[in-house]
Amino acid sequence: MSSGTEGSTDLAARRPAGGGVDQVRVMAIVLCVILVALVVPPVVILIIRSVSVTNPDATVGGFTLAHYARFFTNPDLYESLFNSVVFSVFSTILALLFGGTLAWLVERTNTRFKGLAYVTTIISMGTPYILYVSAWLFLLGRSGPFNDAWRTLTGSFQPLFDPYSMWGMVLVEGFLWSPLVFLLLSSTFRQANADMEEAARMSGAGVLQTVWSISIKISMPAILALALFVFIRAIEAFEVPLMVGLPGGIDVLTTDVYKSIRETIPPDLGYASAYSVVLLFVVAVLLSFYGRLAKNAGKYSTVTGKGYRPRQFDLGRYRWIGDAMVLFNFLIVLVLPLLALFWLSLLPYMRSIRLEAIAQFSLENFATVLQSSYYRELALHTLVVAASAATAGIVLAFFTGWISARRRTGGQVLDQLATMPLVFPGIVMGVAFMMVFLAVPLPIYGSIWALAIAYTVRYLPYGLRYTYAGVLQIHSELEEAGGVSGATPIQMLRRIVAPLLSPAILSGWLFVFLIASKELAVAALLSNTQSQVVAVGMYDLWRNGQGGELAAFGLIWATVMTCVASLFYFATRDGDRAQAL
Amino acid sequence: MLTLDHLTKIYPARPGEFAGGIRDASIVLKPGAFFTLLGPSGCGKTTTLRCIAGLERPDEGRILVGDEVMFDGASGRSVPLHLRNIGMVFQSYAIWPHMSVFDNVSFPMRVSKARKYSTAEIRKAVGEALDSVGLGGYANRSATQLSGGQQQRVALARAVVHRPKLLLLDEPLSNLDASLREEMRVELKRLQRELGITAVYVTHDQSEALAMSDVIAVIDQGQVVQIGGPREVYFQPATEFVAGFVGHTNILHGTATGPADARGVVAVEVTGGGRVLCRAETPVSGEVAVSIRPENIRLAGEGEATGAAGNAIAGRVASASFLGSIVHYEVEPDQGSAVFRVEGGPGTPFEIGARVAMSFRPEDALALPRST
Ligand SMILES: Nc1ncnc2c1ncn2[C@@H]1O[C@H](COP(=O)(O)OP(=O)(O)OP(=O)(O)O)[C@@H](O)[C@H]1O
Ligand SMILES: [Mg+2]
Repeated sequence: MSSGTEGSTDLAARRPAGGGVDQVRVMAIVLCVILVALVVPPVVILIIRSVSVTNPDATVGGFTLAHYARFFTNPDLYESLFNSVVFSVFSTILALLFGGTLAWLVERTNTRFKGLAYVTTIISMGTPYILYVSAWLFLLGRSGPFNDAWRTLTGSFQPLFDPYSMWGMVLVEGFLWSPLVFLLLSSTFRQANADMEEAARMSGAGVLQTVWSISIKISMPAILALALFVFIRAIEAFEVPLMVGLPGGIDVLTTDVYKSIRETIPPDLGYASAYSVVLLFVVAVLLSFYGRLAKNAGKYSTVTGKGYRPRQFDLGRYRWIGDAMVLFNFLIVLVLPLLALFWLSLLPYMRSIRLEAIAQFSLENFATVLQSSYYRELALHTLVVAASAATAGIVLAFFTGWISARRRTGGQVLDQLATMPLVFPGIVMGVAFMMVFLAVPLPIYGSIWALAIAYTVRYLPYGLRYTYAGVLQIHSELEEAGGVSGATPIQMLRRIVAPLLSPAILSGWLFVFLIASKELAVAALLSNTQSQVVAVGMYDLWRNGQGGELAAFGLIWATVMTCVASLFYFATRDGDRAQAL
Repeated sequence: MLTLDHLTKIYPARPGEFAGGIRDASIVLKPGAFFTLLGPSGCGKTTTLRCIAGLERPDEGRILVGDEVMFDGASGRSVPLHLRNIGMVFQSYAIWPHMSVFDNVSFPMRVSKARKYSTAEIRKAVGEALDSVGLGGYANRSATQLSGGQQQRVALARAVVHRPKLLLLDEPLSNLDASLREEMRVELKRLQRELGITAVYVTHDQSEALAMSDVIAVIDQGQVVQIGGPREVYFQPATEFVAGFVGHTNILHGTATGPADARGVVAVEVTGGGRVLCRAETPVSGEVAVSIRPENIRLAGEGEATGAAGNAIAGRVASASFLGSIVHYEVEPDQGSAVFRVEGGPGTPFEIGARVAMSFRPEDALALPRST
């Protein structure tokens, strides 16, 4: 390190003069031990449980393949699988079409009201999915304003639209993902070279012809990779299947796992484990495809020459379509859900939007929420858990990222260990950690620290993306200069790498904090009454029909989280926001 | 062939910057002319080109290609860019990476609104275009497998494949390395002459402009300061700026002592001391700049005869660089602070520190209006 050259295999050369211990090696070993301790037990326990008899006291019994046999012969499996695929395919298409079009319009054309698209995205980053889903369910529900208006207009008793259906699920999930698609594709489009489009126009192509044969096709590799990514997340999705699918009787893979633990007495751990192992395998296969696509994503990204200057594509007489699209997004993803939440928060019980209801308006719900210690604890737990997970995760990611980006001994192993949690759908991570914590002789199950540990593992890969890419941007000579000046590796990391990496570290921390504070799937299985977090608390409120308090609490919470999201958005260099993909 | 009539396009100024763009540019080009827009970075060359292309909407003025009005600020008429039938080579080449060479070059014909081309016609035209740029046989290559020079050629083939009336080129050679640039310069000129196409070429490289152009427009801060042939802008620059930008020169600042005499010679009091006799092409008075090309100055050792030249300035050699066929000197004059660049033959070397006399004829010293 102090004298070694990049990529050298001569390990002796890396030893500091004087023959002391090689700090980097010690660091790698310590990291390896920690990562193995965090990442390996969940996998191992799932595999063991899936082939073992579960004793009545929930301990592990003898070997059996009965769980797998039951799993594969269950006729419901194929229905869930089919539902999962339909749900994921269509919500991916919707999210991509909508978010992608929006990103292109905002980044590359002279559409107006662009600011609204960013505002929508930032606020949606800070809002828990549960809250969104509740708001949309209220809007689209039987007594929601749309069905209400329909009934009033037509006099019919049949609602126009039942949100507790496959299409309801697709719609909600699609809109839920569109802000992220927007965020990721907007950086792709922003970096695109405008000359490519102008050259087509100069060659005689019309607007639509240019959009189709140049703009879209050039971005195709990036779009395809993103599509597979969103598809995987939709397969793993939990919030929408839980809140929309379950009441509507539409089961998907993730809700099956949840039901076999939470709605079966006693919890069917063996079956859930077998199910989880299969899901892990499926996601792993999909992710390996994704890895291949993602490598190609930059295939057509062009070096922008000296004459480069961002220019906008003139939509000409189609401009109003762009404007309408941006406004529609603003309305659907931001204004309507917010209005619905305000409406609910001001009323003592959920009721449809009618003028008479205004007489009942009060701030009661807000008062309850602000005074109750229950809500204070929800918020406190969530903040503590998310902050600990983000901090622990980014510290691990810092060292791992540096060792693997600089290709030190053990870097590859560390990198693989730290990215392994990506194959866990949230619900599977919950199942695995539940069994791990039940197996260890410490009273950790049910405490918020159980959540903190599980979240740390779950989001470690995201933190790693930030630090790894960050280290690659630091010229290695800066580090070598530190070594030549006599700094030990630890000093060099502390005095040179850490300060230079601080923007990436901050972005990574904020990103993990944001998504950890929204996490539902893991918490749904790991938290109990003493360790409830916001997402679970909101789900309970929704199930109990306490829409008013849910809305009031949700609005306050979303406001706080939007501040964090704005910090993330503005503190992060462009392009880094997409790092987590 | 191309007419620009009081073309103006000004970008709104950002705080602390001058408003970029082009002001009041007019020119009439003959068919087949090679026209170059020459000027320093940021002077508005690309802006002018993009206005002609239709990529930018001018504020005022008219643009005609042949007899067809492409833009008229007064009537608001503006032909959409994809109907202008103009070929363009972008500075970044803009070769579409997701298409093969054939697909790139055939694109203008496939999307043509004017008429439908048959597959056979397209194949033939693309083949000819690729042959003409020396890329015959490359049609099926993927665009990502091309070197910089080859991309440049594909861009050129794509720009001319549909036989446009006008070819626009924005610094097409600036991304190539020096030797390739030299080669492409010759080739580009050959192609343009063979096709007989009118070309508008943008560059900030004066030697490129001098070597290739029939007509050059020198632009400074959005203003066209001179239009003329290469010899004209080199030998009869209109302003101090043009003299300094086109070729190397020595500039002396001073004050004209009176109007030019019958032979067009005027005497100038040089700021800092001394007096030179100059030629004045345009009437000058008051503050003037005097331009003397390095190759027109003769060096003589102290005490040697300076010949019949009318002006002589004594000085000391500050540096000498041997460049093979010539020696490049910098000479500090005894009076004034400006250092002179002088070119000498290889035969008569002067040592650094040697005292010399610089002499030049009044015809070779040009009095020009001062640029601000
Ligand atoms: N879209 C725009 N908005 C604002 N100012 C612009 C815009 N495009 C160009 N400018 C400004 O107009 C001036 C002229 O730009 P132009 O691109 O024509 O220069 P150029 O002569 O081509 O320079 P270069 O040799 O660097 O390419 C510059 O000062 C530039 O900053
Ligand atoms: Mg330019």
